[in-house]
Amino acid sequence: MISAPHIPDPDGFYEALVNAHEQLNENDSAALNARLVLLLANQIGDQNVLLECIAAARENLMRK
Amino acid sequence: MTDNNQGSGYRLPEYPFRVPPEISEGPQARYPVVIVGGGLAGLAVACDLATRGVRAVLLDDDNTIGVRGLASRGITYAQKSLEIFQRLGIYERVKAKGVEWSHGKTLADRDVVYSFDLAATNVSAQPPFINIQQFYVEWFFVDRIYELGLTDLRWGNKVVGIAHEKDCVRLEIETSAGNYSLEAEWVLDASGVNSVVREGLHMPVTSQRGQDRWCISDIRFKLDAPLERWTWIEAPFNENRAVWQLPMGDGVWRLDYQMDANANPDEVSNEVVVRSRLRQQLGEDREFELVWVGPYAYKTQLLDNMRHGRVFFLGDAAHVMSPFGGRGGNSGIQDAENISWKLVTVLNGAAPETLLDSYHTERHLAAAHNIKTTSRTTRFLSPQSKTERILRDAVISLAREYPFARPLVNTGRMSVAFSYEASPFILSGGASVPNVPLTLANGTKVTLLDLFGQQNCFLAIWFSEAGLTVADVQTIERLQATEPMLKWVVYSAKNSATIEYGDAGAKLKHALAVEGDCVCLFRPDMHLAAKLAAPTSMQIRAALAQARGDIGAK
Repeated sequence: MISAPHIPDPDGFYEALVNAHEQLNENDSAALNARLVLLLANQIGDQNVLLECIAAARENLMRK
Repeated sequence: MTDNNQGSGYRLPEYPFRVPPEISEGPQARYPVVIVGGGLAGLAVACDLATRGVRAVLLDDDNTIGVRGLASRGITYAQKSLEIFQRLGIYERVKAKGVEWSHGKTLADRDVVYSFDLAATNVSAQPPFINIQQFYVEWFFVDRIYELGLTDLRWGNKVVGIAHEKDCVRLEIETSAGNYSLEAEWVLDASGVNSVVREGLHMPVTSQRGQDRWCISDIRFKLDAPLERWTWIEAPFNENRAVWQLPMGDGVWRLDYQMDANANPDEVSNEVVVRSRLRQQLGEDREFELVWVGPYAYKTQLLDNMRHGRVFFLGDAAHVMSPFGGRGGNSGIQDAENISWKLVTVLNGAAPETLLDSYHTERHLAAAHNIKTTSRTTRFLSPQSKTERILRDAVISLAREYPFARPLVNTGRMSVAFSYEASPFILSGGASVPNVPLTLANGTKVTLLDLFGQQNCFLAIWFSEAGLTVADVQTIERLQATEPMLKWVVYSAKNSATIEYGDAGAKLKHALAVEGDCVCLFRPDMHLAAKLAAPTSMQIRAALAQARGDIGAK
């Protein structure tokens, strides 16, 4: 899992991400996120990295 | 599965009860092998032992095959099982009665969101799958067992008690002519999910009950659909729940409907309700005959140890899983094969008893793998939370548009032979090798299975591009002098060959990942036990010893 910055245009990416959720209700937003996760997972295509990302997301949430 | 059967069903054979010699004559000598349960796994193990010349007593509490008659239960027999059927002499009958298939499709409404076709990559003489009612397989086994004439099939003999004694097992048995007990050196318990033997020995199990409810309708009718496995993950004709559609013998189709999790089993299997549900799928006009109806909820259950002293557990007595992918029956048949050759090898004094430990090692790994695999399917088919539902809907929606999401659609991963690569009894390899067709140097057409010989020995194939050297030939001769139960085949382009190189041979080499010269050692169950480059007779002997249970060799 890459933890150093790797997104070329962080602000542009973040803007696109929040824009995609505009005018969606909570259910549709969750559905959009699910699609996005699956599409991105296929871009990564490395099982170990995927499992590490899942664990990292959960651990980060639990530390909150 | 409940006994809630309706429809026109089948006529099944009934087998006669004979008064056991223990009742008519008094106590008998200890039996070397007693099998409990005449279902798929019990009959497979009886037939396997008989083909190896071993006598056994089989105790079954019923007088017919099938569960108290009509239930058709497992219908999909995967390639490894079909190869075992070939070895046991029932394959031709299974093939004649069943439906061969290789193509599966998963639909969401009208869109195909996942498909597979195993025909293109098949290298075995047996097809990827045959669908046939389980009781036909059991019927063919019984006929074959009678033909082999070595098994004492005791119908109407119900095991009610079991105890380990000093060097044997005592079984208490009830019959209509009275009760008796017998002594067995080894007991193979294949008496199903409610095994009295397992309960009697207080064997610890890990189990979990599924929330999902289903209802099978086996119907006879003319369907203009191809002979394929179709699964609807969301069927518009079943309130967007899942439906399975599979062909089997006698022009019967299995339609298996996912029900609401809170559905009442008696209600969903009521004939009027069943017929109206089928009308949703088939339309108002089509004639059909209801053959069998069975509502079920599945559970998973795994015995912590598949051996207890002199007792081995096979099939549903050892492991229960949800039906997706046909892994229950097929793994029971593989259990039967796994214990058979090992037990016979030990009974013949050709291997230490440690070989029998490998039964639990290997088949428990297989069962745990099957349970994990079927549980993943279950999780996909019945999401347990709103979030799980959202994720599944996302997979299905993406799969309609993008190929990448299709492998995530999970309506069951079809049963394949489990590879024993993690087994300490395997030096290298571990996978079951397909029954590849081959041409011998004299032009005879055979399959890999034929090379093991009538006695189903261990097999060594020496792949040699340039032909064997004098030293190689001496290595074989030394081993032949001391290892009568190891068959040798030389595979070479040169004139020493007993098999010719050819297209089929290339398939065998590919299946074994053979690149240069090497010796491949196969166990009697066609699992690869070792692959050795330029081996000495010592190295081959060590690999053979390891495969026969002498794991100090590793």
